[in-house]
Amino acid sequence: MIAPPAAQDRAAILHCMILMRRFEEEVLRIAQDHPYVGRQHLHIGHEATGAAVVSQLTPDDLFHTTHRNHGYVIARGADPGRAFAEIMGRKDGLNGGRGGPWHLCDRSAGFLSTSAMVGGSVGLAVGAGFGLKTQGSNAISITHFGDGTLDEGICFEALNLASIFSLPVLFLCENNAKEGQRPSSMLAAKALRDLPQALQIRAIVVDGRDADAVAEGAKEAVARIRGGAGPVFLQTNLERWPGSHQTKPEFPTGVTDLSLAWEEDRIEGKHADWVREHDGLRAYAKTLVDDGSLSRERVLEMDREVLELLAKAREFAEASPYPDPDSLMADVFA
Amino acid sequence: MTKKFYAQALIEALTETAEEDPGFALIGRGILGHGAHAHFDKPLMERFGDRITDPPTSEGAVASMAIGAAMAGTRMFCHFGTASFTLEAVNQLIHEAGVAHSMSGGQIKVPLVFHMYHGLRRGGAGQHSSSPQSMYANNPGLQMIMPTTPRDAKGMLRAALKCDSPTLYIDHGALLGTEGEVPDEPYEVPLGRADIRREGSDITIVATSRAVLWAVEAAERLAAEGIDAEVVDPRSIVPLDAEAIVTSIRKTGRLVTVDEGYQMCSIGSEIAALAAERAMDALKGPVARVARPPVPVPFSPPLEEAMTPGPDRIIAAVKATFA
Ligand SMILES: Cc1ncc(C[n+]2csc(CCOP(=O)(O)OP(=O)(O)O)c2C)c(N)n1
Ligand SMILES: [Mg+2]
Repeated sequence: MIAPPAAQDRAAILHCMILMRRFEEEVLRIAQDHPYVGRQHLHIGHEATGAAVVSQLTPDDLFHTTHRNHGYVIARGADPGRAFAEIMGRKDGLNGGRGGPWHLCDRSAGFLSTSAMVGGSVGLAVGAGFGLKTQGSNAISITHFGDGTLDEGICFEALNLASIFSLPVLFLCENNAKEGQRPSSMLAAKALRDLPQALQIRAIVVDGRDADAVAEGAKEAVARIRGGAGPVFLQTNLERWPGSHQTKPEFPTGVTDLSLAWEEDRIEGKHADWVREHDGLRAYAKTLVDDGSLSRERVLEMDREVLELLAKAREFAEASPYPDPDSLMADVFA
Repeated sequence: MTKKFYAQALIEALTETAEEDPGFALIGRGILGHGAHAHFDKPLMERFGDRITDPPTSEGAVASMAIGAAMAGTRMFCHFGTASFTLEAVNQLIHEAGVAHSMSGGQIKVPLVFHMYHGLRRGGAGQHSSSPQSMYANNPGLQMIMPTTPRDAKGMLRAALKCDSPTLYIDHGALLGTEGEVPDEPYEVPLGRADIRREGSDITIVATSRAVLWAVEAAERLAAEGIDAEVVDPRSIVPLDAEAIVTSIRKTGRLVTVDEGYQMCSIGSEIAALAAERAMDALKGPVARVARPPVPVPFSPPLEEAMTPGPDRIIAAVKATFA
């Protein structure tokens, strides 16, 4: 197990972001090598949001995620080898091969649901908040979802329940579209935050590409929720990664090169703009090097450590067998 | 007759309806999915793109919008994509579209076709693999078509779009790339008439949707072993051509049903009940149902394979009825 990054530790947040990025890059390679792995919804470009929010949580907090779940599951400390194995449908996968890439589940890392039904996790997270409140727990419930999820009616109903019953729920909305527009959402509301705000839910909007801004917003949100003030809607604005909806596994922005953080002149290609302006990982590496928090060498060393870890994880997954077809009927009932 | 892809035939039915009825409207994105045959929607998009509304991810309200528009007099085609997503709209389909005509004492009509892709699709796992046909068939007032050839796809969709009752068109993505002869002149294929896809004398295999392709393959392989199977494709589930099915069972004296849904209360169960009610005296052996076992669809390929009611499982079931 990799420990979740300690709160406030910016180097740990960067480390977590590198891990999330390199994990997804390996998933792309896996999908190229094993065509059956099917459609991937990668978390690339969302790392600043993911790592920074996770840095503000405790191990007891309960998490609910979506089709775009890999980053969170890894950031919360799930074993990357078992996560790769799950994505490959292998026996040693986190879900024993039952879930696949859209449904990674690790209860020990606090995950209750990874639903690929748009809106599915939002309602369940409100339920977990209700459960935690009735149990008198100090933990909170988090639901991560995209802007498009607000298209679904269940979001209105779930936000309303959370507000009425003052439930300890963090609604984390990763907005990777221009406010409510295609390709992922179609909302008449001019700003997403208008929706929770109409239901008296506090909304915080931050730049989701800026890990420091997200950590600050998440800190405020989590403190409010844990303090008993009811739910918070945290919206992080992102610029959609050009590969976020691909049917074939491709690296549209290339394999990440962290030295581009300080060698900006070398950024090139069709999607140079995304890398230069919108890649939160590159931006954070640059911030931490520029303000003297980390040396360039240390950043590159972290990257190498992550790559080594993931190479071993991939080996583990490749060596894992498929589940025995005779086990088909296992685990239908508890 | 011209040889065409199923995907082309389906789009032709929509294009011809749009030509005929200037009020005909469509809701949905990617009517032919996202695969290799998706581009065949071009003739429709180019000529009638302005009739197609691209909705947000709001299945419940979108279904209501289609139903309400149909009630108000607009002939509608509403495409949902994956059948799993229609579970967000079950109440609207069953309790609004299905009951409206009867509950209003025959005053209200719902001229509407809902289109969706059901079934196992390799890697769909537990939330993208639904085959909800028997669940919907268990409710009154909803017609249900499951054509399996290009000719039937066009002809049945044309017929369903002309009628004033709501119809579920439960389709399978694997059919889009199949080819077959399609008449050049206008035609319809009436609902409620089964088709004998292969004549045989030893056993009746009743299969629906993609399972018809598996049943035909199984029948060809069985023929090599001296078993002459008849394959019956009901084509529409509601209304169901009980007469043709019972006639075939009475002729062969044996029955295997195949469908991609779960076995409990499945379409196959309904066919088996027909055999018990109307052909018991003609049966020479036990009836067998090939369907999904009751487990959420696992992602892992060998597990999904193990629950798929394909040709091997059909052949084993056929042989078991002779044992
Ligand atoms: C109920 C339901 N309807 C439709 C879909 C198909 N679908 C999968 S992802 C997606 C878009 C979700 O957008 P968003 O929540 O913004 O997430 P993003 O992919 O942009 O991160 C849709 C419509 C689905 N999975 N579930
Ligand atoms: Mg989105």
